[in-house]
Amino acid sequence: MSTATLAAGATATATPSASRRQRTSPDARRRRVALVMLAPALLGLAIFFVYPLIASIFYSFTRYNQLQDPEFVGLLNYRYLFTQDPQIAAAVTNTLWFVVILVPVRIVFALLVAGLLARARAASGFWRTLFYLPALVPPVASVVAFVFLFNPGTGPVNQILRAVGIPGPLWFNDPNWSKPSLVILGVWVMGDMMIIFLAALLEVPRDLYEAASLDGASGIQQVRHITLPTISPVIGFSVVTGVIAALQYFTEAAVASGVASGKATVGGGTGSGLGYPGTSLLTYTQLLYTRGFTSFQFGYASAMAVVLFVITAVLLVLTMRRISIFRAEES
Amino acid sequence: MPARSTRAVRSTASRTTAPVRATARRRLAAALALTAATATLIAGCTSGGGGAIDKTAPAHLKGTVSLWHFFTDREAKVVQTAIDGFEKANPDVTVTIHAGQDDEKLQKAISSGQSIDVGLSYTTAIVGSFCSSGAFRDLGPYVKRDKVDLGDIPQAERDYTEYKGTRCTLPVLADVSALMYNKAQFAAAGIAAPPKTLDELKADALKLTTYNADGSIKTLGFNPLIDFYENSPEHWSPMIDGQWLAKDGSSLIGQSEGWKKLLTWQKDFVDEIGYDKLRAFTSGLGQEFSADNAFQTGQVAMQIDGEYRSAFIADQAPDLDYGTAPTPVLDGIGHYGASYVAGNVAGIAKGSKNPELAWALLKYLATDTDTQVALANGLKNTPTLTSALTSPKLEVDENYRTFVDAAANEHTLTSPATTDGAAYLKTFQDAWNDYQEHGGDLTKILKKVDADIDAANQLAGP
Amino acid sequence: MTVSVGMTRRRPSRLLTWIAEHTLLVTIGVLTIAPIVFVISTSLMSSRQALTATLVPNPVDFSSYIRVFTELPLGQWFGNAALYAVLATVFMLVSSVPAAYALAQIRFRGANLIFTAIIVAMLLPPQVTAVPVYVMWSQLHLTGTLWPLILPNLLGDAFSIFLLRQFFLTIPKEYGDAARLDSTGEWGVLTRVVVPMARPGIASAAIFLFFHSWNDYYGPLLYTSENPAAWPVSYGLATFRGQHGTDWSMTMAMTVVIMIPVVVIFFFAQKAFVEGIALTGVKG
Repeated sequence: MSTATLAAGATATATPSASRRQRTSPDARRRRVALVMLAPALLGLAIFFVYPLIASIFYSFTRYNQLQDPEFVGLLNYRYLFTQDPQIAAAVTNTLWFVVILVPVRIVFALLVAGLLARARAASGFWRTLFYLPALVPPVASVVAFVFLFNPGTGPVNQILRAVGIPGPLWFNDPNWSKPSLVILGVWVMGDMMIIFLAALLEVPRDLYEAASLDGASGIQQVRHITLPTISPVIGFSVVTGVIAALQYFTEAAVASGVASGKATVGGGTGSGLGYPGTSLLTYTQLLYTRGFTSFQFGYASAMAVVLFVITAVLLVLTMRRISIFRAEES
Repeated sequence: MPARSTRAVRSTASRTTAPVRATARRRLAAALALTAATATLIAGCTSGGGGAIDKTAPAHLKGTVSLWHFFTDREAKVVQTAIDGFEKANPDVTVTIHAGQDDEKLQKAISSGQSIDVGLSYTTAIVGSFCSSGAFRDLGPYVKRDKVDLGDIPQAERDYTEYKGTRCTLPVLADVSALMYNKAQFAAAGIAAPPKTLDELKADALKLTTYNADGSIKTLGFNPLIDFYENSPEHWSPMIDGQWLAKDGSSLIGQSEGWKKLLTWQKDFVDEIGYDKLRAFTSGLGQEFSADNAFQTGQVAMQIDGEYRSAFIADQAPDLDYGTAPTPVLDGIGHYGASYVAGNVAGIAKGSKNPELAWALLKYLATDTDTQVALANGLKNTPTLTSALTSPKLEVDENYRTFVDAAANEHTLTSPATTDGAAYLKTFQDAWNDYQEHGGDLTKILKKVDADIDAANQLAGP
Repeated sequence: MTVSVGMTRRRPSRLLTWIAEHTLLVTIGVLTIAPIVFVISTSLMSSRQALTATLVPNPVDFSSYIRVFTELPLGQWFGNAALYAVLATVFMLVSSVPAAYALAQIRFRGANLIFTAIIVAMLLPPQVTAVPVYVMWSQLHLTGTLWPLILPNLLGDAFSIFLLRQFFLTIPKEYGDAARLDSTGEWGVLTRVVVPMARPGIASAAIFLFFHSWNDYYGPLLYTSENPAAWPVSYGLATFRGQHGTDWSMTMAMTVVIMIPVVVIFFFAQKAFVEGIALTGVKG
């Protein structure tokens, strides 16, 4: 797999440098210096990226608990993963739910707020800082705070809803509401994304709008024909990184489960509160973590890791060429 | 973590890409081959541990030994007192205590080979994997050398502390479950004696349940939700003399008429009150180990609980007027008076730097009658030595008597160890959770439980 | 606050538009700030009051803060978090600044392949490599400590290299070339030309990694959960909530305390920070 990804990525390797290859010794000297400068990073890539990837593939065909030598079991782990694991269906469904709902909702909200800031000429200073603020809150703290705010009994949200005559749901304690509750949290902390969009919106040449305006284009037409096409690379970037982030959704779900379930073992994050309420917040990476580092089924966890890698890699291969920021060609 | 990669960045117009270069691919292939070789190398050198032990126990103990346990607060103090006794008896020994260790963390520390000497866990689930993997050392040679009499440990406790003939743990107190009931509420409802059968349990429970004006539950006679507090398939197993696994490790749950009848009884009970009502009521209750425990606040009149509850009540709700009785049973299937026992297990970690000291400490905790009596008196767990259970120094009041008797009952059950720990219990519990809410074809559901357990066992290996 | 002047688009309802936009801004602003206000107000209640249906502390009670500082090993948690964040950041700078410089400012064969590998490493979920990396650290007997999270930064951090490279690309190569004509070596160009010019970029990369480490939950969960002495504050908060049941006031006080350092740093380095997010992609 890694061959495919790297090869696909390597398409960008520039031809000009090849033709220049053996021309002068300064080139060779420069290359030597560059490689020296890159040496730690290259070593890092080998130790923390290439080797673990290969080792994961190796482990995925074994039964391994770290205390005994890995024992080759063929496709057993994959068979269990695809046909037998009673928890995998919930984990995959929940993860996909976050990919399909959380990512677009966050992007839309971030775009709307950025658009509002750009329109209102409030792109810097007070408003931007205000809307960015939640993104600063450490994720664990924001989850704990939200579980409190949405606490069915005494939380402020349900108190306010009650005051206006609406019976609030159980939020983080109801399997049907727990994921939407995390989406609300995700929207609240969308500051990073908003700032990227804002920067992109401000780069849209002003004269384009003026010309369109003179041609009698309406506001909506301007957004459709000028704004969105110009910033679409940024949106594409956000979608790709957002989807990859959602595929590994872990901290928010784990902490929310632990805190809302009130289990004393929360610190483990993935103990008896795993996926609480019910299995509604059990995500793929939490299941992987539990299998690997609670049950110490390293072989099975590795099989899950390989599958996750394949999915991410396919996604990257399909999209990387379109996201120019990821391309390496020299300017 | 996820937020990380989403930061940055804005891009410029797209450009054309150059073709893949063969050299790059070759270099990559070489790198892959190299790392693959390293992978095999590293994977190959993890074995070891164990080995022979000294022919005689050391005459004088000296050094530092670490003890990891899960107790906190009041309970940790009881353990500390017992350890003080060990240090007094061995003045050159220092015991470093790591209290409040969540079991998951203990397992992680031991599995990753950290230098823990004695680990005390509250779940017998680790026995299978720790004995077979060597995470806990084989105690057999020590037991033999020091001629420790294991016959003083009751059979059920002896069973759950070893796996396939390897004894890698010893029991240090056990939990036995029984029925606790609120005497004041019983008197108010005109119920004379605690229920002995499931039919009586349900009838009494419904009688004891009161409702608010809006129809929601005010107080509950007995909470039938299988995921409430100490409710669980294990703790309910005495009701039907429940069996789990066959000798070969395959699941017996789906073939058992007892389990089927118990689930049916429970589902009927849940439906009679209403699942949603029960769920709403349950989510408003205090945490199990806080002073707001629903039994202690009087919100629930009866519950299946462990003997340690007595100590919590004495500490947190001393005025509560309650009684204890054996777990009610399904007529003709369960053995009234029997219980489910599981308890703390302690072993010497593979990474122990000073196994002889660890063994001395373990012996002190697990096989010394006076230590066990002192711990039991403080923690109100049941001792795991017959000599301690019958010791005149063991403080036994009327309520505690139920548990001590149950611990000694010949029909008392435990759940077998597997290399997959207690995963089979969780599989069963999950299926049950789903069934109590959504119902369905019970035969099919239990068959699926069997299939899931068998598949998981295969994954975990022998 | 910005006042809208010279709107070029629709003239008839300039004021109305202004009002509509700012009403929306204020509404979103209130919704944004409300959670923080509630968190702070709850932290100022007594534990008992926090369980009641009131939203305003009455009377204002600082006891939760006192209890947070006296009953919890906060000093240790903050110390661990600071150790983790500071060392990780310093190590990252040492290893990643030269790497990013080489990728951005030196033309050499293989640069693009390396860059692509770094991008892939950056985007790959950390769980994919978790098992072998964990096994590696446990063979070095470093699980149960924060070192497995700190030391890898000595060998470069993919995201930081990426970020720094984007900054370095904005510096015209001509500056470096001029220095090279004076027979300055690449290291000289790096330290004397590029680093001084890219200071804001380097600052924002450092802040990103600092915040990332400070806020990290997954890493400490994986490597330090079994050793409370090594817990950083973010992980401690998650555990603490488990142990203290329904004491919301204390939990919220803890939440406020953990936010303070981050917010303070943000206000001091706001410019570098926001530019870091927004402008890293502006390449030549």
